[in-house]
Amino acid sequence: MIKLHNVSKSFSRFQAIKSILLTINKGEIHGIIGASGAGKSTLLRLMNLLEVPDEGEVEVNGQKLTNLSSKELRQARKSIGMIFQHFNLVANKTVYENVAVSLELANFPKKERRSRVLECLQFVGLESFVEKYPAQLSGGQKQRVAIARALANNPEVLLCDEPTSSLDPNTTAEILGVLDNINKSFGVTIVIVSHEMEVIKSICNRVTVMAAGEIYDTALIEPKGIQNLDNSPRYFIEQLTKDGDLDHA
Amino acid sequence: MPDILVQYEAEIWASIGKTFVMVGVSILAAILLGLPVGTLLFLCRKGQKLENRIVFSILNLLVNIIRSFPFLLLVVFLIPFTRLIIGTAIGTAAATVPLSIIAIAHYSRLVEQSLLDVPKGVMEAAISMGASVKEIIFKFLYVEARSGLVLGLTTSIISFISYSTIMGVVGGGGIGDFAIRYGYQQFKTELMIYMIIIMVILVQLIQFTGTTVSRMIDKR
Repeated sequence: MIKLHNVSKSFSRFQAIKSILLTINKGEIHGIIGASGAGKSTLLRLMNLLEVPDEGEVEVNGQKLTNLSSKELRQARKSIGMIFQHFNLVANKTVYENVAVSLELANFPKKERRSRVLECLQFVGLESFVEKYPAQLSGGQKQRVAIARALANNPEVLLCDEPTSSLDPNTTAEILGVLDNINKSFGVTIVIVSHEMEVIKSICNRVTVMAAGEIYDTALIEPKGIQNLDNSPRYFIEQLTKDGDLDHA
Repeated sequence: MPDILVQYEAEIWASIGKTFVMVGVSILAAILLGLPVGTLLFLCRKGQKLENRIVFSILNLLVNIIRSFPFLLLVVFLIPFTRLIIGTAIGTAAATVPLSIIAIAHYSRLVEQSLLDVPKGVMEAAISMGASVKEIIFKFLYVEARSGLVLGLTTSIISFISYSTIMGVVGGGGIGDFAIRYGYQQFKTELMIYMIIIMVILVQLIQFTGTTVSRMIDKR
């Protein structure tokens, strides 16, 4: 579903991503974890070309994004949803308008827009908040609106950049529940960047661990814990199975 | 009403009318040209959607140059240009040319500043949803920056009124010109004070309207 082929990215002299090879399978929930500055957010942002790679190819949904014209890229992005740590809702639009705008951008048939918006808001449990503005919502509710917005165009992929990092533990669990539900109900491939091990363990099928712009390891997560896929150092797997986040490790 | 106002009523109304024409044209120029120029200034900045150092530098320099002219000198300096466009450099119509030029430069800078207040994340969300440049501007930037844009326009309009008061030098007329010619030069201090009061009321009204509107549309 998502293939990164020898992708590199530098910011001025700092090499954030060093020739990464990564395949994310259709229908999985894939976690990307790592310490601050490891390049995990950059890696995610390469998947919809919010960051343009210096080298390498990015393929999503069978399309090589790196080869598309800007118009084709805009089209391709409409089937790649994205949510953010700080939600990034338009503060001057109502909840309804925030979701509707993504349908407007995709030229979704006008007559069906209202019912589609309400359907998405219902899915995230906010159907009674249509006329509210983001400032009137809690963090968790804002993220639900962002999810509804990302969901409106029936994306194949949902990219989540630290989706729960500004939320409290209860709200985090709720949002992860919503994401899990999206994966189960619609088969949407989800990629989640997080620095919290708990988040990854509770929802992901597979995890990629990043360190200093490289993939340290990719592991399968079983219900009972984490199994090693590649033959990487033992201590690292132990760390993965421990509670707590990698920032402190 | 004081006798002196009754005596000059017709002239006063005529000069208020001319001020409105000059300021009105300036507002139009600010919205129709200052807004796009300010938007372009913002979008051509480093790290923005249309990053373009050359366009940014040229626009930035142009806006700075216009704004650094003492306005009276700009009016004189632009006389050949005004004559080219209007056919004459004298009169209310001619006065609108330098006023529009300064209006564009003035408001474009305020537009740029308002747009800089839009959170970068909102722009990223727009891009990630596949928005075109036009859609980013109209569905995201202007929506999110609208209260700042209104406040900026309010500040600009008040400056335009101030600028318009010196347009007497090219026969532009207006309240300021009336106050100087009748109130100052003919020693009718009372009349000058009344004109100042009219200006104060006008500015208060504009500021109140601008502040109210901007608060009403701000949902942040």
